[in-house]
Amino acid sequence: MRVRLRLWLPGLLGLVAVPFLLAVAQAARAAPDAAALSRGRLSSSPDAGAAAAEVEGQNDACLACHNQTGLSTTLPSGETLSLYVSPEVFDSSVHGHEGLACASCHTTVGMYPHPPLQASTRRDLSLQLYTVCQDCHATEYALTQDSVHQRARDAGQPEAAVCTDCHGSHGIQPMTDPATGDLLAEARLRIPQTCARCHSTIYDKYLTSVHGSALIGQGNPDVPTCIDCHGVHNIEDPTTAAFRLKSPELCARCHTDPERMDKYGISTQVLQTYVADFHGTTVTLFEKLSPDAETNKPVCFDCHGVHDIARTDDPQRGLQIRENLLARCQRCHPTATANFPDAWLSHYIPSPAKTPLVYAVDVFYKLFIPATLGGMAVLVALDASWQVRKRVKRPPARAAEVSKPEPPAPTPREPQGPAASRPQDSAKEGSGSDEGQHA
Amino acid sequence: MPEPLQPNRVVPPQSDGPGKARPPAKRAPRKARPESRRHVPEVARGHEAGERTYKRFDLSQRIEHAVFLLSFTTLALTGLIQKFASAGVSEFVLRLLGGIETTRIIHRTAAILLMVVAIYHIIGLLYRLLVRRSRMSMLPVPEDFRHLWQDVLVYLGRRRRKAYYGRFSYAEKVEYLAVVWGTVIMAITGFMMWNPIATARALPGEIIPAAKVAHGWEAVLAVAAILIWHFYNVHLRHFNRSMFNGRLSRAEMEHEHPAELAELDSGVPAPEPSAQDLRRRLRVFIPSATLLTAALGFGLIRFVTLEQTAILTLPPAEVGPAFVPQTPTPAPTPSAAPALPTPSALTWNAGIGQLFADRCGACHGDGGMAGLTLIDYASALRGSDNGPVIVPGEPDTSPLVLRQAAGNHPGQLTPEELELVRQWIDGGAPEQ
Repeated sequence: MRVRLRLWLPGLLGLVAVPFLLAVAQAARAAPDAAALSRGRLSSSPDAGAAAAEVEGQNDACLACHNQTGLSTTLPSGETLSLYVSPEVFDSSVHGHEGLACASCHTTVGMYPHPPLQASTRRDLSLQLYTVCQDCHATEYALTQDSVHQRARDAGQPEAAVCTDCHGSHGIQPMTDPATGDLLAEARLRIPQTCARCHSTIYDKYLTSVHGSALIGQGNPDVPTCIDCHGVHNIEDPTTAAFRLKSPELCARCHTDPERMDKYGISTQVLQTYVADFHGTTVTLFEKLSPDAETNKPVCFDCHGVHDIARTDDPQRGLQIRENLLARCQRCHPTATANFPDAWLSHYIPSPAKTPLVYAVDVFYKLFIPATLGGMAVLVALDASWQVRKRVKRPPARAAEVSKPEPPAPTPREPQGPAASRPQDSAKEGSGSDEGQHA
Repeated sequence: MPEPLQPNRVVPPQSDGPGKARPPAKRAPRKARPESRRHVPEVARGHEAGERTYKRFDLSQRIEHAVFLLSFTTLALTGLIQKFASAGVSEFVLRLLGGIETTRIIHRTAAILLMVVAIYHIIGLLYRLLVRRSRMSMLPVPEDFRHLWQDVLVYLGRRRRKAYYGRFSYAEKVEYLAVVWGTVIMAITGFMMWNPIATARALPGEIIPAAKVAHGWEAVLAVAAILIWHFYNVHLRHFNRSMFNGRLSRAEMEHEHPAELAELDSGVPAPEPSAQDLRRRLRVFIPSATLLTAALGFGLIRFVTLEQTAILTLPPAEVGPAFVPQTPTPAPTPSAAPALPTPSALTWNAGIGQLFADRCGACHGDGGMAGLTLIDYASALRGSDNGPVIVPGEPDTSPLVLRQAAGNHPGQLTPEELELVRQWIDGGAPEQ
C-alpha cells in the first residue's frame, strides 16, 4: 500500500505536469510580429544648399518646356499624354519640399531630345515609371510586393494599383505627421476617396455605414478609414479564410479601446463576449490552430456587415430589431425560428436583468460546486489525517491495513490477522449505534 | 439497487489474477449474481489457500465501468479544453487532437458511447429490480446519515470505530447518485447544444446559453468530484481492485462492508427467486425491455441526427466586383495654351518677338539649342548652326515654319500662332 501510494502520486503528478510543461514551452515561442514600418525619409545632405541650387537649375531646364500647359504627345494607343507639369503643384508636394530633381524619378529621359517613349498606353507608362519609387522607399515598395494589388497585376490585371495610383505623381501630399508618424487628419479623409477611384461601389456602401458616414460627413477621426482594416502597402486579400479568421482582432483594436468607445457609449466587452460564445471560441481556436482553414462560424462582419456596418440601433437595419437579427441568424441557420436569436446573448455578460436564466444557472453552480467539493474535501481531509494518525500510532505493517479492530478487543481472538477476525466481533466492539445494518 | 459503477475494494495479491478471475465470473450467473448481498464467499484458488474472497462486481458490470470510464475521461478531456479554450494547455491538447472540430467530433462520439452505457445501465437496473428483485442497496437511507455522523466522530477522536457499512457505504452512494445526476444533466444540456434550433422551437432561446453554462460547470464538478472523492476513496486511501477483478478479500470486506460481511457470515442468504419465478418474470421482462431498449435507442438516434443546425459553408459576407473604377476617368485633356495677346501689327516689335520669347525662349534663348537664339530680332534672322531658319517673304521654305508644321517639336506653337508667324514671314518678317 505504501509502495503503491508512492508510485501513484508521482504518476498522477507526471500526467498533469507533462502536458502543462509542453504547453508552457509552446506559449514561449509566441513570435512578436509587430511590423514596425520604417518611414523611408530622405535625409538632406550636408551641402544641401549647393545641391538645392543645382537641382533647381536642372528642374528649370525641364520646366522650360514642361510648364507649357498644352504640351502633350500622342501614344500609339491613340491616348493623349499630357507632358505638362505644374511647377506650383510640384513645389507644394512632399518631393518639391524635399527639393527632388525631376531626374530623380525620371531617370531615363536624359537631356533633350528625349529617347522615344517605350510605352504604348498611358497605363504602360505608369507601370514603367512607378518602380523608381523603390529607390527611396524600399520598405514600402517591398511591402507592396506582397499586396493583393501586386498579385492582381501578376495575374494579368494591369489596372491594379501601383504607388502612383494612390499617392499621385507630381503632387504627392504627405500622409503622416513627420514628427509623430501619425496619419494626418486630412489624409484620413483623403484615403476613402483614393480607394474609391477603383472601388467605387464599395465606397458607396462605406458612405452608408456608421463608420463612413461619420468620417466623410463629420470628419470624425475615431472611425476607421479603409486602411485601418485593410492595411496600407501590403494590403491583404480580404476574401481569404485567413483574413476572416483574424478580422475580429481588427474590429477589436478599436472596439476594446475604452478611450474611444466611451465617447459613444459603446461596450468594450464585445470581443470578450464573442470569444466566450460558441462562435467566437471556435473562430479564435481556428485562428490559433489552423489560421488558413475555412470555418462556418461567423465573425463580426458576418452579422454586422462589412462595408455597410450599421449601428445596432439603426431604425432600419439595426440588429436590435428582432427580425433583423433573426434574418442574420437564418443566413447560417436557415431553419431558425423566432426564439432562436435569444440563444445569442447580444454581447452581454450574463446579468440578472438581461439574461436571468443564464445568470441563475451560473450562480447556482458557483455555489453548488464549492459546497459539494468542499464537503468532499473536508471528509477526505479528515479521513486522511485520521489514517495518518493511526499509522503513526501503530506498527507500519498493520497501519497499511486501514481500520482494524483495536487490540484490547473484548472478545478473545486468535492474534493472527485481519482475515481471521470476524465482523460480528468487531460490531460488538462498536458503539451501540452500530446495529441496524440490515435495514 | 445494484450498481455497476462502484468503486470497490480489492482482493489482495493472492487472489486470482485477471486471467484466473474469469472462471468465477462465469460461474456467477449460476450461483451468486452481482447483486446486493448475494456474494457467496469463495475460496480463492491457488496460493495461500484458505483466503476467502467475495464477489462484488460481475464481468458485465466491470465492462460497463470500463466503457463508462473511457467515455467519461474522453468527454472530460475534450470538454474541459473547450470550456477553458483560452488556456495554454487547452490549446496544446486541441492541437494534439487535430483542432476544435475534430475535438468536437470526438466529444460527441464519446457522448454517444456514454448514453449507450446509460441505456444499458437502465435496462440492467430494471432487470435486477424486476426480475431478480434485488435489494435497492444503492438508495440512500437515513442510516447513511448516521454513518456519516459516526465517521465524523471517529475523525474527531470521539469514537473508536468507523461506521458499520453495508453493501454500499454512504461514500459510494454519493458517488453513484452524483454520476446519475451528472449524466442526466449532461444529456439534457448536451441535447440543447447539439440541437439548438429544435430546442428554441419549444423553449426560450436563452435556455441554450444556460445549458452551455450548466454543461460546463457540471463537467467541472464531475471531474473534480472524481479527483477528490473517487480517487481518494478507491485509489489513494486503499487501492480497491474489485472493479477490475470483481472481488474483495475478507480483510477488505471487514473494513469496507462489515455489515454485509456479517450478514453473509450469518449464513442466512436472501431468498433466491425460484427458477419458475424467474422464467415467469422474464416472459414479461424480455419483451418489455426489448421495447424499452428500442425506444431509448431510437431516442438516442434522434438525439444525434435531429437537426442540421447550421449550413456548412458560410456565404461570403459581401459579394460584388471589387474593381469598379469611378466614372471612367478620362485622361486629363491637355488644356490649350492661353492665347497670347494678338500682336497689334505683324512686326517683331509689335508682338512677334514676344511670341518667340515666350514660346521658344526657354531653349532658344541666349546661346540657345542648336545655336538658334530667338529672343532678339538679329539673332532670329541669323538662324541656327545650320543656317537661317527664317527666310523673309518665303514662309513655306523657312525651316522654322517647316519644323513647326511637322509637329512634335517640344515647344510647339499652336496652329493660330504658327499662322501669325507665317504671315509675318510672308510680309517680309519686318522688325518694325
